[in-house]
Amino acid sequence: MRAPLTLILRAVIGMAWIFPVYWLIVVATGARGSAYSIPPVFVPLFHFLPVASVLAHTHLLQHVLNSVIVTTSTIVLVLFTGALGGYALSEVRFPGRSLYFLLALGVMMLPQQALMVPQYVVLYHLRMLNTYAAMIIPFATSTSSIFLFRQFFMRLPTSYRDIASVEGVSTARYLWRVALPLARPAVAATVLLTFISSWNMFQWPLVMISSKSIQPLEVSLTFYMQAFEGHWRQLASVALLALLPVIGVFALTQRYIVSAVAGGELAQKE
Amino acid sequence: MISSRAAFLRSFTRAMHGPRSIGATLREALLGYGLVMPSALIFLVFYYAPAAFLAYISFFHWNLFVNGNQFVGLRNFEILANQPLFWRSLFNTAYYVVVLVPTTTLLALAFALLLREMPNLRSGGLSRALIFLPHVTPVVATSIIWVWIFNPNFGLANAILGFLHLPQLNWLQSVTWALPSVMIYTLWHSVGLYTVLFLAGLASIPKNVLEAASVDGGHGWFAFRRVVWPMLGPVTFFVIVLVSVNTIQTFSQIYTLTGGPSSLAGGPAFATTTDSLLIYQTAFLYQHFSLASAMSLVLFVLTLALTLIQKLLADRIVFYR
Repeated sequence: MRAPLTLILRAVIGMAWIFPVYWLIVVATGARGSAYSIPPVFVPLFHFLPVASVLAHTHLLQHVLNSVIVTTSTIVLVLFTGALGGYALSEVRFPGRSLYFLLALGVMMLPQQALMVPQYVVLYHLRMLNTYAAMIIPFATSTSSIFLFRQFFMRLPTSYRDIASVEGVSTARYLWRVALPLARPAVAATVLLTFISSWNMFQWPLVMISSKSIQPLEVSLTFYMQAFEGHWRQLASVALLALLPVIGVFALTQRYIVSAVAGGELAQKE
Repeated sequence: MISSRAAFLRSFTRAMHGPRSIGATLREALLGYGLVMPSALIFLVFYYAPAAFLAYISFFHWNLFVNGNQFVGLRNFEILANQPLFWRSLFNTAYYVVVLVPTTTLLALAFALLLREMPNLRSGGLSRALIFLPHVTPVVATSIIWVWIFNPNFGLANAILGFLHLPQLNWLQSVTWALPSVMIYTLWHSVGLYTVLFLAGLASIPKNVLEAASVDGGHGWFAFRRVVWPMLGPVTFFVIVLVSVNTIQTFSQIYTLTGGPSSLAGGPAFATTTDSLLIYQTAFLYQHFSLASAMSLVLFVLTLALTLIQKLLADRIVFYR
């Protein structure tokens, strides 16, 4: 008796939660004026004209490109700094190691909203305002990546490293050729987490970037919200363009994303 | 006999590895500093230095583009205390947090209990994915569709109210309902994360404990109240802290849903001006950096205090560790 009820409830809630996203697809690709039709249309028609017209008449492609540049460079850098930091924490003995541990952990306690103003001042003095670097460098490392790598490197048998040092293999080579390939799950989780946070970043570029030409997609959406007020198909198709990469990646790696995000949060608790 | 063999082994290992020379130790330390340098520098320059700098500029009459900053002591805080809008923003923030913390926590717990895998039922995975998905979507992109849902004339929200024969609302355009509308969006966007955290908590409850409870006749509400709930204590506490810290700092959805760059954000009539939105507008729209810093310091202290209070409370309430 309980099982069917549970099943139905699960289905209803799942559908209700995904509905706004589905609705976005319907409005974006629907017929002209379908957003206003009563009763509402619930079937997407796959008209791609609005997307095409927005791409042709605005600088949308530039914003997409900006987002891609920022996201990919951030991912590469986070992998680099995270793997190095994690390796240092797990394998290397140096005075101040526990201080570094606390430094990495403490960052998560700082309320981000309260730091916006002084961070703006710091970027101003580094002459980084209004540059790609402003959107990349401050996010080029993350506590979760450092701790993920630390966890994986700690599990590697010490004999691997002993053999490497006997054979005269350098640390860089050992990291690149042995440790990193064995820590592939940590690499995957870091890539996914960084992709989501970097692609979705909004307030930071809103504050730090004033020139339209390097604005990421998410910030440019607020401009489109005004420019396309009332043109729901165009507006929805622009929003869809920002959503699709996330939905696509999520559809392919749902299991890993859920556990990576939840794991990242749970790591704070330990 | 045995001890001599141990001694032999020890000397053998020492011969193989050699005693650690000062040079080797120094080399390893240098390697360590080199490895942590990039991330440590980023943390220090972009996070810790600003945090320290924050306290400093709050006590100055300070402007980014003018030299000769003047120490004014508590003057900035005095101005704030006499600003009705600042108090209004604190009230709005408190309202937002106080409503969202219990609703988010309870809904996430309910979803987790519903999605918990039953032995012969594997439908939980897809529903879990669908509930979690909004959490990873970009806020502005999904806010756009919610502006449409909250549209008083054509929106889905009023269609549902009409279907239930309830009075229509003006949602984001109404002073009373604007902030609750943002709360609904936030609930939709974030509940999936907390659901998954609760699911992890449920999974960590040993199976035999549940079995023992059901053998003793503990079913349904009784089993939940006496067995599951106490064991979820630590996760519940963690979720409450996380929801509070996240909601007290909400910015993006408030900014986007209530007007975006048109400088109407926070409206109508300041009904949705929360602390973080006011900080943003004061600093980056009106260039009052020292005033905004003073507000930030208040927010900083409030957030830390909230975490600490909850920590103290939890030590009394949570018994399962």
